[in-house]
Amino acid sequence: MVDYSLKKFAQLIFTVFGVVTLVFFTLRFIPGDAASAMAGDTISGEALELLREQMGLNAPLWSQYLAYLHGLVTFDFGVTITTQLPVADLILRAMPVTLSIAVLTIVLTVTLAIPLGTLAALMAHRGQNGLDNAITGTAMVLDLMPSFWTALVFLLIFSLTLGWFPASGTISFDSPVDYLKRIALPVLVLSVTQLATMARITRTAVLEVLSEDYVRTARAMGWSEMRVLFRHALKNAALPIVTVIGLSFGNLLNGTVIVEFIFTIPGIGNLLINGINSRDYQMVQTLIVFYALLFIVINFATDIIYRALDPRVKF
Amino acid sequence: MTYQTEIAPPLLDVRDLCTEFGTDHGTVKAVNGVSFAINEGERVAIVGESGSGKSAMAMSILRLLAYPGRVTSGKVRLEGRDLCSLSERQLNSVRGREVGTVFQDPMSSLDPVMRISKQMIPPIMRSLRLSREKARAEAILWLDKVGIPDPERRLEAFPFEMSGGMRQRVMIAMALSCRPRLLIADEPTTALDVTIQAQIVEVMKTLTAETGTAMMFITHDLGLVARFADKVAVMYAGRIVEFGPVRDIFCAPAHPYTQSLLSTIPSTKALRHERLAQIPGMPPDMKSPPQGCAFRARCAAAVARCAQDAPELSPRGSGHIAACWQPKGLEGCKRTACESRPQHGGNRPPRERTMVEINRLTKHFSSPRLFSRGPAPVVRAVNGVTLRVQQGETLGIVGESGCGKSTVARLLLGLEQPTSGEIFIDGLAQMVFQDPSASFNPKMRIGAIIEEPLIVKSWGDKAARSARLRQLITQVGLEEAHLERYPSQLSGGQRQRVAVARALALDPSVIVADEPTSALDVSVRAQIINLLVDLKEELGIAFVFISHDLLTVRYIADRIAVMYLGEVVEYGPADQVFDQPAHPYTKALIEAVPLPDPVTEARRATRLLEGELPSPLNLPKGCAFASRCPIATDICRTEKPVLRHPMKTREAACHHVNSI
Repeated sequence: MVDYSLKKFAQLIFTVFGVVTLVFFTLRFIPGDAASAMAGDTISGEALELLREQMGLNAPLWSQYLAYLHGLVTFDFGVTITTQLPVADLILRAMPVTLSIAVLTIVLTVTLAIPLGTLAALMAHRGQNGLDNAITGTAMVLDLMPSFWTALVFLLIFSLTLGWFPASGTISFDSPVDYLKRIALPVLVLSVTQLATMARITRTAVLEVLSEDYVRTARAMGWSEMRVLFRHALKNAALPIVTVIGLSFGNLLNGTVIVEFIFTIPGIGNLLINGINSRDYQMVQTLIVFYALLFIVINFATDIIYRALDPRVKF
Repeated sequence: MTYQTEIAPPLLDVRDLCTEFGTDHGTVKAVNGVSFAINEGERVAIVGESGSGKSAMAMSILRLLAYPGRVTSGKVRLEGRDLCSLSERQLNSVRGREVGTVFQDPMSSLDPVMRISKQMIPPIMRSLRLSREKARAEAILWLDKVGIPDPERRLEAFPFEMSGGMRQRVMIAMALSCRPRLLIADEPTTALDVTIQAQIVEVMKTLTAETGTAMMFITHDLGLVARFADKVAVMYAGRIVEFGPVRDIFCAPAHPYTQSLLSTIPSTKALRHERLAQIPGMPPDMKSPPQGCAFRARCAAAVARCAQDAPELSPRGSGHIAACWQPKGLEGCKRTACESRPQHGGNRPPRERTMVEINRLTKHFSSPRLFSRGPAPVVRAVNGVTLRVQQGETLGIVGESGCGKSTVARLLLGLEQPTSGEIFIDGLAQMVFQDPSASFNPKMRIGAIIEEPLIVKSWGDKAARSARLRQLITQVGLEEAHLERYPSQLSGGQRQRVAVARALALDPSVIVADEPTSALDVSVRAQIINLLVDLKEELGIAFVFISHDLLTVRYIADRIAVMYLGEVVEYGPADQVFDQPAHPYTKALIEAVPLPDPVTEARRATRLLEGELPSPLNLPKGCAFASRCPIATDICRTEKPVLRHPMKTREAACHHVNSI
């Protein structure tokens, strides 16, 4: 197990390096740069050239790249090109908001989706298709709704009509209740889409396992349906479910960008949108590297959990 | 068996059991009024082909049927209690505790992500009300009893760390450790090698005798029944057609189906020029069972009455009942099946031409690993094999799984590149695979499947190809209409005929058949074997027939090569190898084959081969078979024997072959 983790970790280093490099060059190859974005239509010609010089944009690409790598290794992410504020500070301030939304969403989704999916699978296995159809049908409809649309509908119903949750406003950790109220709608919106996928995958995985020979063996040993379901079926169905949880974390990082924008939440997503709009290389590349690292860490965790769940997983 | 058990009420009493599977295409009446009884400590075999309802019947007893299966009527009494009227919770106290179960496929019947201890100890704690420590000791005891070496360590293993035979032993230990009164074994040895099968059967026999557990043994292998059972129930189309003591069933079978089944098995004394008896046709579709006797359409003794009324089981002897209007079944009917083989002597080419020549063939598989130290592990699948096949000759290759016989087949066809050695083939080699349904594209029509090799080699034009297709399909005993069907619309036997037609398409000089009959039912198997032998005679093709079924190989092959761990250990004419095996491994293989004759079986002193095939990853230095050989001495462990000629016509690789 330790061996396995170490090997997986060693592979990560190559991945991280690849991502970091790719991010840098992709950004540089997009037409337009920070200087022209900052200048807008007002300045041009020599003034713009001066601005480029000041911002270090005229240095050769390889030296910019080396400076960038050096910065990453020493945890010095520089200042934003536009506002001259330290990038690390901005990200650290925005991160708790986004992460709390993501984690709450995952928790909510898992606690709802796995029991629902298992229930649907059990019903389908027994040939009682009514409840199964209801669950899978609802899941399908929810899955088809894009999150920006759900966000607007929820905003309309829960904030504007019912007035249960604030639609916008300041956000702070001082009052946990207010904080939860403020992020409740984003979490709900994100959960809806995640829920559908996860419930469907759980259903498929459990349904397949339920017709396996070893489940019949457990039944033939006289174990109750509950024990068969939890000890044997769910444990064996866990692999695809864990995969989906890992993937949905990734999806969530995308989802938060849209939802934070709609609900005006000062999270990482909003930082990214602002950064892109102002061609703020420093901000954007740090954020993308940050996102990529998060993805890699989640995948790494998924691999380790895989191995812990199924001793047959080879490396 | 004492007289008291005869008088006492039976342990299990099944009355008029009916089971249905409701599908979209209609209701399949899998079990159609089955009644029988099992007494304490008795071993009853349920015999039937796939689709006969034997497994559905067994699963109905404990209500373990998967949806949409459902017991529709009947009573199942276990020591007087009706299991059908129990609630699910009440039934759970019977399952495992009073009735143990062993299933067919040991590879999938144990939970793959749980250690053996986790699967074995809780049932023992529950059934025998023991503490965890005591249950653990009990589990180790039972693992030891079923012959698992180092049981204490093995208890903490995962199923995937064990071989199929070991897993089936674990299943048996799991079932018996709860001290059930009845053990239901559903084809427990079908997935295993013949030597392992013999070991498992012996374990079950001694342990159930020791504990007085009654046993219901479901199988399609009549030989096993003869070795094992006290009584036999023969099932056909969801009903028991014959039931009686094992000797009566084998020596005086009364139902035409039982009689036909027994005659389809190639006997040890089979005369090669006689065709195997075969049962024509296929079992009926259980969605619409025919009126009258279900076997009518395949029965030579059928009379007008059989079409109207289904016969009830009627007494034929002491405890022997059969469901047939004819008092003696097929007896007295002309058995068309046993005719002599037509002679093709006139146009047969001389046989001196060597069609296949294999010289010192080796195939090693190695998997270099990125992170591990030391040399990559090498699997020596084929280790210096030399063989020859003459024109019109059949070479049988036998051995346990893992002996390299399939690798030889793949090498012959060029599907793998040999590590060293030479293969010469005069003409073209084609292949017939084991599982016909898995080797066809399900979306292609039969015609297109057979035509494929012709198109690949751009053989003829469209008209010529279509004429060739019609010729091929009739050659393998199908009709032209079959060309338009899809593989799923054919039965297993028909699909294997199509596979043969495809192999014949390009007029090959050699056909390599890898276990071509082992996926087929007994009654269909004989049809395919007859077809292959006919084609060999007719076309003068050389055959390489690879199988673990020794009786079939003996019947079909002219010469036999016995393989063990990638090497040929004995090679010679089929009859001689079987009648006077020279190598101890050949001897053990032949002894492990159960014969469909309870009298001979009872007399046979079966010396079982111990242990399993060693890993081909680290072959022993001396004789590969030394670790399991009953006559191995020091020289065997240090010095490798080479193939030599102990007899004029035969080769064997053994130091002691002269002393046998």
